[in-house]
Amino acid sequence: MVDWGIPIGAGIAFGLGALGTGIAQSKIGSAGAGTIAERPETFGLMVILVAIPETLVILGFVVAAMIMIMLV
Amino acid sequence: MLQKMKKVQVLGPKKDLQSVVDVLYHTGTVQLEDMSRTFRPGDTLLRRMDIEKGGDIANTLVKIGGIFLALPKIKYDIKKQEQIYDELQQLTHPELLARANHVIDELESTTKELAVKKSDLEFTLGAMDRYEKIIKKIQPLESQLPILEGFEVTVILIQREFREVLDFIKNTLVEITKKQFEMISADMDDTTIAAVIVFNKRYSEGVHSLIFSQNVNEVRLPSEFLGKPFNEILQLISLKRTKSIGEMAAIDEKLANLATEWYQELAVLKKVLEDRNEEAGVFGKFGQTEYTFVILGWIPKKYLQRTKEALKDAFGNRVFLNELEVSPENMDEAPTFYDNPAIIKPFEFLLQVVNAPKYREIDPSPLLAIFFPFFFGLMVGDIAYGIIILVFAQIVKNRYKMELWLQHLMNILIISSIPTIFFGFLFGEFFGDFGEIMGWIHPITIAGITWNRVEAIVPMLILAIAIGVFHIFLGLSLGILNAIAKKSKKHVMEKAGMIIVISGLLLVVGGAAKIVPEIFLQLGVVMMVIAVPLIIYGGGFFGLFEIMSTVGNILSYARIMAIGMASVILALVANKLGGMMEVAVLGFLIAALLHILNIVLAMFSPFLHSFRLHVVEFNSKFFEGGGKMYKPFRREKEDETVK
Repeated sequence: MVDWGIPIGAGIAFGLGALGTGIAQSKIGSAGAGTIAERPETFGLMVILVAIPETLVILGFVVAAMIMIMLV
Repeated sequence: MLQKMKKVQVLGPKKDLQSVVDVLYHTGTVQLEDMSRTFRPGDTLLRRMDIEKGGDIANTLVKIGGIFLALPKIKYDIKKQEQIYDELQQLTHPELLARANHVIDELESTTKELAVKKSDLEFTLGAMDRYEKIIKKIQPLESQLPILEGFEVTVILIQREFREVLDFIKNTLVEITKKQFEMISADMDDTTIAAVIVFNKRYSEGVHSLIFSQNVNEVRLPSEFLGKPFNEILQLISLKRTKSIGEMAAIDEKLANLATEWYQELAVLKKVLEDRNEEAGVFGKFGQTEYTFVILGWIPKKYLQRTKEALKDAFGNRVFLNELEVSPENMDEAPTFYDNPAIIKPFEFLLQVVNAPKYREIDPSPLLAIFFPFFFGLMVGDIAYGIIILVFAQIVKNRYKMELWLQHLMNILIISSIPTIFFGFLFGEFFGDFGEIMGWIHPITIAGITWNRVEAIVPMLILAIAIGVFHIFLGLSLGILNAIAKKSKKHVMEKAGMIIVISGLLLVVGGAAKIVPEIFLQLGVVMMVIAVPLIIYGGGFFGLFEIMSTVGNILSYARIMAIGMASVILALVANKLGGMMEVAVLGFLIAALLHILNIVLAMFSPFLHSFRLHVVEFNSKFFEGGGKMYKPFRREKEDETVK
C-alpha cells in the first residue's frame, strides 16, 4: 500500500474515540448500578446517563468515515 | 396547555369530615396539601387532625377479601351493586363497619370450613389417583405374591437412578425379617420403580424404620385396603373416588348458594372499604379546631365549579370551599397540570422521567412532539427501517397493553417513524443503498445538491448545524418569554444578548469565509460588541463563558449528521458483505443480520440522542424544572364494577 497513512489515521480516530467512550461509560455505569440498587425508580434516568457519552465514539466514527471516504 | 391552579380551603363541621373526604375522593380533582407544615407548637386554635380508625378498616378489609376469594366468581350484577352502593354511602362510618362485621360473622366460619373440607377432599382424590396407578402397575405381579395371613404388604417408590438402594434394602430385609419376606419390583413410569414387599407382620416396625431411614417414598395404603386381593382394592378405590367427587360437588353447590346470596354485597363492601382505607390514610394532612376541620389543597381552575357543586349537593351550606389568594412567588409551589391532547401525551411522559416542569413554565412537550420525530427521521432516514419500526412498535403495543410506560414509548416510536419514511424518500434509502442498487429508488437532488448521505457529507453537516442554530435560538426566545412571565429583567437581558452574540458570530464566520459580502463581517463584529455588555449585565462575568458553552451546544447538533452517517454506512457494509458472499443464501443471511442489528441500534440511538438534544441542550436555554406533577386524591385503578 502506497498511502498507508490514511487507514491508520482513520483507525486511530475511531479507536481513541471508542476508548474515551469506554472509560467514561464504565464509571457512569458503575455509579448508576449503585444508584439503582438503592433507588430502583431511577432506572430510566440512569440508562439515559450511561448512554450520553455515546457521542464521543459516534463523532470518532464520523471522522474515520470522512477520512476513508473523502481521502480514499 | 398549562392549567391554572387555585389554592383552596375546605371547611366544615367535624362530624361531616368522613363524608366530605369521601365526596372529594370520588370527585377526584383536589390535590391535598399537607397542613402540618403550617402549624406551630403552641397554636391553640388550629392543630393537626387526630388519626384514628385506620386499623379496623384495614382488618375488616382483609377479612372481606378472604371471604371474597373463597367464593366462586359469578357475574357482576351492575344494577344490584349500584343499589347496594347507594345504601352504603348513606351509612355513617360506624354503621358501615357494623354492617361489614355482620356479613363477616355470617360468612367467615362457614366459608372457612367449606374451604378446608374441599382441600381435604382434593387431597384424598389425589391420593386415590396415585394408589390406583400403582396398584394397576403391580397388579400383574399379584399372582406371584403369596396371600398369607399375618403378612403385611407395603409398596415403595424409588427413583430410577437410585436403583442400588433397592438391592441394599433387599439385603437388609433378609436380616430384619429373617428371610420371611418377598420383594418384587417393576418400572412404574419413566422415572420411578415400584417395589412390593410382603413380609411377616411381626417385623413390621423394623421394616418401616428401615424404609424410613433410607428416605425412600413409601406408599401407605389406607388400612381398609390391606390384606385384600388387588381387584377388590381397585374397586374400593373407585368407590371412594366417586364418593369424594360427590362430596366436593355438594360443597361447591353450597358455596354457589352462598355466592348468589352474598357476592354482590361483598364486592361492593370491598370496594367501599378500600376507598375508606385510602381516605383514612390522608387524615394526617388535615387541620382541626375544636368543632371544625380544615383541608388545604390545589385544584385546577376548570374543575373548581364542579367540585363546589358536588360539595353543595352533598352538604348544602354546612361545608365551604374557599379560594385562597396566593402571591406569585408562592404560586411556584403549585403542582403542574397540562391537559395535553393524546398525541403529545407520550412526550409529556418522557419529559417527566427526567424533570417535571415547574408551575407557570412553558410546557416543552408540544415542542418536543414536533422536533423529536423530525430529528429521529433525519437520523434514521430509511424507508424500510421506518416501516419495520412502525410494525414492530405496533406489535409490542398490542401485546403489552398493561404496561403504561411501554405504551407511551411505542407511541413515540410510531409517531417518529413517519418522518423516517419521509426522509427515506429524500435520501433515496431502502435498506441502505439496496434500493439504489436495485434501481427502485434514487436520492432526490435539490438545488444541485444530491441528498445521498454518503456523498453529501459536508452539506449534511452544515444542515445539522443550521438546525442547531435554529433550535437554540428557539430555546433562547422561549427563555425570554419565561423570564418575562417571571418578571426577571436580568434573564431577559442575558438571553437576548446571547441571541445577538450568536448571530454576530455567524455573520463574522460567514464574512470571513466569503460566503456573505464583506460588509456583514463588520456588522457582525458590531453586534458582538453590543451584546457583550448585555450579557455581563444579565449574568455576571461568567455570562461570557456561557457564550462558549452555547456555541458548544450548537455544535453538538452535528450529531444529527454523525449518527445518520453511522447508520447509512452500517447499511452499506451490510449490503456489500452480503453481496460478496458466493452463496446467495449465506449472503442474504449475513446482510439480514447486519440490517437487524442496524435497526435495533436505530431504535435506540437516535431516540436517545434526539431526547438528549432536547433535554440537555434545548431545555437548558429556558427550562427550570423541579416542579411536581398534579396528582389528585382519587382512586388509582379503573374498576369494572360500581360507577
